[in-house]
Amino acid sequence: MRPVRLVLEPRQASGAWRAAISLLSALALAGLLGSLVFALAGVDVGAAWRALAQGAFGSSYSLGEILVKAAPLILTGLAVALCCRLNLWNVGAEGQFVLGALAAGYVGLFLAPAGAQPWPAHFALPLALAAAALGGGAWALAPALLKARLGVSEILSTLLLNYVAVLFMEHLFYGPWRDPAGQGFPGTAELPEAVRLPLVMPWLPGARVHWGLALALALALALWFLLARTRWGFRARVLGQSPRAAAYAGFHSARITVTALCLSGALAGLAGAGELLGVQHRIQDGLASGLGFAGIVVAFLARLNLLAVPLAALFLGALLVGADQLQTGLRLPGAAALALEAALLFGALLGEFLAANRIRLVRAPAGEAGEARHAS
Amino acid sequence: MLPSPDWESLALLGQIAVKSSTAVLLAAYGEIVAERSGVLNLGLEGMLLLGALAGFAVGAATGDPAAALGAAAGAGALGALAHGIFVLSLGAEQVLSGLALSLLGAGLTGVLGRDLLGAPGLVLPSVPLPVLADVPVLGPALCNQPVLTYLALLLGPLLWWALGRTRWGLLVRACGENASAAYASGVPVRLVRYGCTCFGGALAGLGGAFLSLSYTPGWKEGLSAGQGWIAIAMVVFAAWRPLRALWGGLFFGLLTALQFTWQAEGAQWLPLWVLRAAPYLLTLLVLALAQTSAALRRRSGPPADLGRFFRPGG
Amino acid sequence: MSGGRSPGANAAPMAPAPPVLSCRGLTKRFGGPEGGVLANDGVDLDLFAGRVHALLGENGAGKSTLMSMLSGAFRPDAGALLLRGEPLVLRSPAAAMRAGIGMVHQRFALVEALTGAENLALAAGGAPSPRAAAELAEAFGLLLDPKRRVSELSMGERQRLEILKLLACDARILILDEPTSVLAPAEISGLYGTLRRLADQGRAVVLVTHKLPEIADVADEVSVLRRGRMLARNMPRSQGLPTGWDLAGLSRLMVGRELPGASSGRQRRPGASARETVLRVRGLCGQGQPPAFADVHFEVARGEVLAVVGVAGNGQEALAAVLGGTKRPARGTATVLGREADQALVAYVPEDRHGTATVPGMTLAENLLLSTTGSRGAYLQGGAGSRAARAAIAALGVVASGPQALARDLSGGNLQKFILARELSKSAPLLVVEQPTQGLDVLAVSEVHAAIRRAAEESAVVLVTGDPAEALALAGRVAVLFRGRVAGVVDPGEAGAFARVGRLMAGLSDPAAEGPAGPVGVPGGKPGAGGRP
Repeated sequence: MRPVRLVLEPRQASGAWRAAISLLSALALAGLLGSLVFALAGVDVGAAWRALAQGAFGSSYSLGEILVKAAPLILTGLAVALCCRLNLWNVGAEGQFVLGALAAGYVGLFLAPAGAQPWPAHFALPLALAAAALGGGAWALAPALLKARLGVSEILSTLLLNYVAVLFMEHLFYGPWRDPAGQGFPGTAELPEAVRLPLVMPWLPGARVHWGLALALALALALWFLLARTRWGFRARVLGQSPRAAAYAGFHSARITVTALCLSGALAGLAGAGELLGVQHRIQDGLASGLGFAGIVVAFLARLNLLAVPLAALFLGALLVGADQLQTGLRLPGAAALALEAALLFGALLGEFLAANRIRLVRAPAGEAGEARHAS
Repeated sequence: MLPSPDWESLALLGQIAVKSSTAVLLAAYGEIVAERSGVLNLGLEGMLLLGALAGFAVGAATGDPAAALGAAAGAGALGALAHGIFVLSLGAEQVLSGLALSLLGAGLTGVLGRDLLGAPGLVLPSVPLPVLADVPVLGPALCNQPVLTYLALLLGPLLWWALGRTRWGLLVRACGENASAAYASGVPVRLVRYGCTCFGGALAGLGGAFLSLSYTPGWKEGLSAGQGWIAIAMVVFAAWRPLRALWGGLFFGLLTALQFTWQAEGAQWLPLWVLRAAPYLLTLLVLALAQTSAALRRRSGPPADLGRFFRPGG
Repeated sequence: MSGGRSPGANAAPMAPAPPVLSCRGLTKRFGGPEGGVLANDGVDLDLFAGRVHALLGENGAGKSTLMSMLSGAFRPDAGALLLRGEPLVLRSPAAAMRAGIGMVHQRFALVEALTGAENLALAAGGAPSPRAAAELAEAFGLLLDPKRRVSELSMGERQRLEILKLLACDARILILDEPTSVLAPAEISGLYGTLRRLADQGRAVVLVTHKLPEIADVADEVSVLRRGRMLARNMPRSQGLPTGWDLAGLSRLMVGRELPGASSGRQRRPGASARETVLRVRGLCGQGQPPAFADVHFEVARGEVLAVVGVAGNGQEALAAVLGGTKRPARGTATVLGREADQALVAYVPEDRHGTATVPGMTLAENLLLSTTGSRGAYLQGGAGSRAARAAIAALGVVASGPQALARDLSGGNLQKFILARELSKSAPLLVVEQPTQGLDVLAVSEVHAAIRRAAEESAVVLVTGDPAEALALAGRVAVLFRGRVAGVVDPGEAGAFARVGRLMAGLSDPAAEGPAGPVGVPGGKPGAGGRP
């Protein structure tokens, strides 16, 4: 019997076909790994997936919740994808998300309440959003400068600052910003109406979709335009694909790096503001629930295509909404969502591999088996 | 505000400092070996958690320390193997695969450990070495520690010797510096890298077991609290050298110990949150300093082939 | 001895001994079973102990593929290897090494961060021992300090280390891929002496090259590969000819056509009166410690080509980057028409085509916008880029599907023509070209040379190259860099110019040093001649 060996060869296929292969294999592996997690956790695998689907698509309320989750995911996904297009890793979207929420919260708590503000009420919301973008961007500034000036890995610096941001937020809502009327409950007071993001469908009770979603979609388009059609975007893409070519062309690589990381931080900061001003309305435990880290999953499910980010965010949003049902229905902890996100990431990696390579089974040429002993 | 300089509290500070450095040290050594062979594994945080849960669960079930540590090392190595398959055989982006592993560790241990929260289990206590433990100050710090802490202290010099002075170390360094040249010289690059990655995972798993069996006995979701990331920063700070990692790890342990003492004394001059954030902020500072000095001395950069996919031709 | 002879005619030379290694019908295809490239098509070859065999072929003829199959890096799709008559299957370079077949690649397979002794131990097994390594080097007459890191060794030393690695593994068949391309002319004869000795000790030596005249002295027999097929194999020396070889016939066989009138009319030295000085370089020093180059002075006038030659690592890479405007000098000035050089004033073709001069994953239209400032403003002028790319494609006859083709899909020669056309379209007063023909086939080389000559009619040209023949063929003056200093300036028209450039490149003392063209700034303390074996 002749031995059979696996041969990898580059796949010659169109972009659409590759994307399809990538997506399908990603979903297949994610499903497999997810089932494995469920089985290890001792729950009925079929029941778990049914609960997930039921939770995500079972009612019009849950469909609305998907959109609620998608809004911040689009923004953090854009934040990660933008950096990755420049070959930078922003794994600090979580911290920038928090700082954005804090900045918006500051505006809401201390500048916007009735009587306190020296400006008309309808300035409050734009001001809060601007503050959030500034806050998130500023939180990314230190890693950006450390990267551009000293070459400190932005992966480590952005990640370490996540812990600092969460500790700072806890300090604020356990301490100086705690609601005095909250009877000891850790958290700030509710933000005034003036800074809240209005609901898209205020007439539907329970539909929490807010205009932050529209903002996120608009930003996705704007960011795509920035990268594809402007001179700055061109320079950024050149830098991302070939730093040596950027140096040859005389681009200011350090400046582009700093700008991109801060822009990315601003997007994540806006995501935090959207979550605070549109959904939670107060800074409290659970405001940062991994939506920043999930941006990484969104970005790579979208294969770094900025226009595909909203679709990937919808998909992950559905998964997260469904995972809530796992908590209530099957008493699985919230960490199940993290495990499913990890499964999706590994799936995306496999998808990338299968999109680029074809695996062929090859029968060894006649005679190889016999002579193999000679020199192997 | 500072602890009064009597010998007893100094000894206690030293003991806590050395103890606190253990998990970071073990994880950092593992990462050094993996990175010297050319594999960047950002999944340390996940492997710490996998090791912590596996060690705790098996320890609680069997009461056998050897089985618990074996399970922890095995769980860490298994996580590393997954990373290895993706980056070494499938050519996946190493950063992304490492992040996925971190996420998987957090998610999987959160799900599987849900019934073990707060459960009693095995505790690996400090083992005072006879006579030596009674030496003032240094005795408690270096000779009255859990077994894994001794391991962490010994592995530094041991790995320094193994990487720099043995043929095994030569193969590892060659794979990390120039994979195709090593392959052309007959080194089984992929095998060496798989081995080093899994070795690193096993060490991280042991680091996790130290957390759940010795440091703060018991299982708690996310109990590693970023120590895996600090360990990766430590590798950069140590310029990929085990002995420098030992000093860096002990310095981190000292910071943690100071934070405990100040917190216990209710130090008012620093807000508590800054104290709790200090390990992360100081790690960042140390990274920046290391980078400045590396730039000045133009030496000790990362292995040349770190993070690059290698596929034999044909 | 032209292409008329059938390949089989030379198959049975005067050898009484059977070949030590034979290939029969070796075939290798890249990129899928249908289409793709047939890199080797039924290639036969015999290698004999005690002989130096030259394998000739152009870039892309399939030489490297063939040798990669002999040395275990690639597996053939069809065909067989016979080692002393026994079938041989190689699964890896290590397996080939165990069978006694070793190869020195054009890109050395050395771990730069390790010492010579450690690299030897890596290949030969056992623990690193500097003393054993030094003894081995001594035994084969290869001068080398095994205690130094490879990153500190010269190219010649690295090559000797590579050969030593094979000898430490007791290789009986040694394959060297383009071994002369990294050496100064003076080092080449040392290499040939080594190869001759190794062959005389009973080893089979294969030299893979596209530079026919270089190997004329050392080769015992020659094979010619073109487009994956063996057109002539195991041709022995013919006694009647002065060099031993029908060089013209062999080069026709290699190229498959008459060469276009190459190197016709080297550049005249411009009359000093009418020509305007474009580039003025004053006391230029590079960055780094020690500086990559130091105390460089020269001027280049409109209509003139100045060549800067040197063996790789002697500072010309850094000098080109400074002149091209992508690196800053540590000291000194380089002014173009009296102004600080910038992108509008300098057209620059760097050595690295994929990744520096172009972004491989971007279209030609986008790559055109990389260095040209034609469309300023906040928005990307995609249409202007496309039009300009189309013009560049037409200007130098680039073979590409259009402005939307990706740079990575172009062949080396076509990409180089595109880059040249892009830089020429800037009509800058100064053109800096670095290693413009490395890795190109003969036709592309002649087209690139022609384009550079045309450019020199309008602007000043600085040609930075490691190839003295190219420098002498194109330039009006040739400045030789050695260890970062201008060791001498040679007029291509003078007698013995080639030999003199070769001596200067190797750092040997320059007997012809006199007058203003003499060695500028050669440090008296380190002429460098003594250091080289």
